Amino acid sequence: MATYKIKVNGITKTVEAEAEMPLLWALRDLMGLTGTKYGCGIGSCGSCTVLLNGESARSCQTAISDVGDKEVVTIEGLGGKELHPLQKAWVEHDVPQCGFCQAGQIMAAAAFLKETPNPTDAEIDEAMNAILCRCGTYPRIREAIKAAAKEMK
Amino acid sequence: MKTEVSRRSFLQLIGGVGASFMLGGFATLACGEEGASAQNPFAPNVFLKIDPDGVCTVSIARSDMGQGVRTTLAMLVAEELDADWSMVKVTQAPGDRATYGGMGTGGSSSVRGTNQQLRRVGASARAMLVAAAAKQWGVEPSACRTEAGKVIGPDGKSLGYGALTAAAKAIPIPTDVKLKDRSEFKIIGKPQNRVDNLDVVTGKAVYGADVRREGMLFAVCLRPSVFGSKSETIDDAKARAVPGVVDVFAISSGVAVVASNTWAALKGREALEVKWTEGPTHSTASLREALKAAAKDHHTMPEGAKRLTANYELPYLAHATMETLNAVADVRDDRVEVCTGSQSPDSAQNNVARATGLTADKVEIHNLLLGGGFGRKFSNEWIGEAVEISKRMKKPVQLLWSRECDIQHDLYRPMSEHVLSATLDAEGKPLGFSHQYLQAPGRGNGDYGTNTYLPYEVPSAGLRSAGVPSSVPTGAWRSVEHSQIIVANECFIDELAHAAGKDPFEFRKSILKNERLLKVLISAAEKAQWGKTMPKGSGQGIACFEGYGSRIAHVVEVTVKDDAIRVDRMVAVVDAGTTINPRGVEAQIQGGFMDGIATALYAEINIDGGAVEESNWSDYGWTRMSDTPKMEIFIEDSGGAFGGMGEVGYPSAPAAIANAVFAATGKRVRKFPIRLSELV
Ligand code: FES
Ligand code: FES
Repeated sequence: MATYKIKVNGITKTVEAEAEMPLLWALRDLMGLTGTKYGCGIGSCGSCTVLLNGESARSCQTAISDVGDKEVVTIEGLGGKELHPLQKAWVEHDVPQCGFCQAGQIMAAAAFLKETPNPTDAEIDEAMNAILCRCGTYPRIREAIKAAAKEMK
Repeated sequence: MKTEVSRRSFLQLIGGVGASFMLGGFATLACGEEGASAQNPFAPNVFLKIDPDGVCTVSIARSDMGQGVRTTLAMLVAEELDADWSMVKVTQAPGDRATYGGMGTGGSSSVRGTNQQLRRVGASARAMLVAAAAKQWGVEPSACRTEAGKVIGPDGKSLGYGALTAAAKAIPIPTDVKLKDRSEFKIIGKPQNRVDNLDVVTGKAVYGADVRREGMLFAVCLRPSVFGSKSETIDDAKARAVPGVVDVFAISSGVAVVASNTWAALKGREALEVKWTEGPTHSTASLREALKAAAKDHHTMPEGAKRLTANYELPYLAHATMETLNAVADVRDDRVEVCTGSQSPDSAQNNVARATGLTADKVEIHNLLLGGGFGRKFSNEWIGEAVEISKRMKKPVQLLWSRECDIQHDLYRPMSEHVLSATLDAEGKPLGFSHQYLQAPGRGNGDYGTNTYLPYEVPSAGLRSAGVPSSVPTGAWRSVEHSQIIVANECFIDELAHAAGKDPFEFRKSILKNERLLKVLISAAEKAQWGKTMPKGSGQGIACFEGYGSRIAHVVEVTVKDDAIRVDRMVAVVDAGTTINPRGVEAQIQGGFMDGIATALYAEINIDGGAVEESNWSDYGWTRMSDTPKMEIFIEDSGGAFGGMGEVGYPSAPAAIANAVFAATGKRVRKFPIRLSELV
C-alpha cells in the first residue's frame, strides 16, 4: 500500500492503494467517481476511457502508480459548469441506449476532436473503433461527433 | 384504478428510497431516484404524482435496458394527462408485484401490456384536475379543456396542474374515462429524446454497478469453467494474502472472494487454487453432430415439380450486456435491501424472500438503469449470490460479475440446426414447406404447435422442433426463437425464389398473405431501389418479419472484397401500428441491425470439454464503429394497436445480410457467423 495524490477533474485527491491498482478501480471504488465504467478489464472495450493530460487512456490499463502528476479528467469533470459540446450533441442526437458505454465514447471523442477538429467519416471510424457499444448506437455517435465538431469551431 | 392503500405505499416508496442509499461525500451515488419533494402532491395512484410546482412524476414499472421504456411509458401517461412534457419526470418503481403487478420486461411487452392502464392513469388524473378547476370556477367540467399542464376555463382563464393538486385530491377517482382518439395525440407520435440522456452524458446516471453504501464490501466469484462441476477443494491461502481481501468462501455457484475494493477481489480470485469436480464434456462439435442426427421428424408435404432442402447452422450466442451482472445486497436479520438492474425485479423480491425466510414486504428491490439486457437479466441468479455473500458477511456487499464470468456463464441463445425443405409446382409456386428446428438443449421441448412462423401462402407447411441434451445453460436472447426460426426461414425463402427462377422480392411479394407486411416489403424495395445494377462483388438482399405487434422489411447492400464482407447500406421500413416515439423506434431498429451485423459476421460461443472457449470482448466478436453502414429507416404505420419495438429489428437483419452475400457472390450462407470459406 502506498499513498497517491492524483489530480482528478481539477481536484487533488489522496488515496491509499496498491501500486498496480488500475485507475479505473481507484476512481470507482476509492473515490466514488462511478461515471467511468468497467466493461472488460483487459483494454478491449474502451468503456473505462478517461483523459490523461488531455489524451484518451484506458483507465483499466493504467496503474494508479503511473498517473503521477498527469491530470485525470473523467466524464464527471468533462463539462465543468456548462456541458461540453460533445455532451450537448449526445443529448440532442439522442445517442444513448442503455448508456453504459457512453462515458467512454464521449471521453474518447473529446480527445479525438482536440487532435482532429475537422474529422472525416473514416477518421471517426478509426478513432472510435476502440470503444465498443453493445447497443449499436454508432450511427448516432457519428452524427453527434460531427455536430460537436461544428459547434466547437 | 388503484385504491387508497396503494396511494399510501407509493408515498412511502418515494420517501424511502433516495435517502437510505446516500453515502456522505459521494455525491451522485443515491440508489433509487427522487426523494420526497414538495409536500401535498396529488398522487391518485402508484403510477403518477403531481407536485404543487407542476412537476408530474411517472413511476415506471418496467426495466429500462436501453430500449427507452422510461421515456415511452411516460409519454403514454403524459399524453392522456395533457401534461407539459418539459414538466414530466420519471422515477423507477421498486420490485414489488403486490403494488405494481407483474413487472417482467421482455418479449417487447412493456408498451403492449401496459398502455391501456397507463393511458387511463393519465386520463383519470386529467379528469380529476378538470373537475377540481371547474368546481373552483363554478362551471361545468365539460366547459373546460386542458393543454400542456393547464386547465383552461370557458372564459379563457387557466390554472396550472400544480395549483390544483390539493383540490384534485378531494375529487373522487372516476371509474370510467374516455381515452383520446389517435387524431388528438399531441405527445404520442412526436420524436422525444430519452429522459435519461443528461444523466448519462454527465456520468450521473446510476446503474446497479454504481451503487455505493457505507461499509460496503466488494465481491467477485470464481466459477467452474465446466458447466455442472462444483468446487471440491479450495486452497485460499494465497488469495487471503492479497492486501484488501477480507474473506473467501464457497457459495452455491462457485467461490466468492470478498474484499475492500473490486481490484483486490479480482486479484484474490486470480490467486485462488480450486479443484473442481468433473462435469459433462460437451463440445460444440459433438453437439452439432447430435443435432444433425436428431433431424428426423419431417413435416410431410405434397410432391411437386421441384424439391429443395437446406441445412442452416446457428451458434450459441452470449448476451454480453455492456454492464455485467451485479447487485448490492444488504441482508439484515429482519429485512433485505437489494440494488440491481433486473428485467424481473418483482420475481427478485419473491426469490430473495424465499432465500432468506422473510416475507416479501421485508425485501426491498431497488431497480436501477440496466446497462443492457437483451434477455440476460431475467434470471436474477446474481442477486441470489449477492444475498448469500452479504448474509455471511453481515454487511452490504456488491457482487460484480467479471466480463469473463459474463461470457463464460451466460444463459446462451441456444445453438440450433434448421433443416428446411420445400416443394414447388411447375410455375415455381410453393406447395409444401417443412422446417425442423433443433436446439441444444431443447427449450421447453419447443412445442410450437401449428405455428410455422411463415407469413407466406404455402398450402402445406409445418414446423417441428426437438432438442438434444446439453449442459450449456440457455435462455431468451433478443427476439427469442425468432432469432433462429426467422433467420432460417428468410434465408430459405431466398433459396426457393432462386430455384423458382424468380427475383427474391417478387417471389416474396407473390406469396405474402400478410397485407401489412406486404406493404412494408414493397416500400422497402422501392426506397432501396431494389434491383438496381450493383458493382461487381456487391449485392442486395431482402428479408422481412412480423412479430411482437410490429412489422419490418430490410433491404441490405453488401460488398465482398479482400476476403471480407462489408455491409454498406441498410434500408428498413417499419410498421409499429401506431408509433409512440419515432426517435426511440429509429434507435431500436439501428441497434437491432447492428446486432444483425454482429451475429452475421462475428459472434459465436464455442464449447470444448464442457467449457466456453471465448472469455471477453477480445474473442467474442462484436461490431465496432467501422462496421456501421449507412442506415435509412422509415416508419410507415398502418394504425391500430401500439406494436413492440425491442425485438422486431433483429430477426430479418442477419437473413437480409446473408441473402445479400448470395447476391454478391452467387454462394449461399448455410452457417452463422458467415465465413466466406464456408459458403456453398
Ligand atoms: S474496461 Fe477498460 S477497456 Fe474495457
Ligand atoms: S449504449 Fe448500451 S452499450 Fe452503448
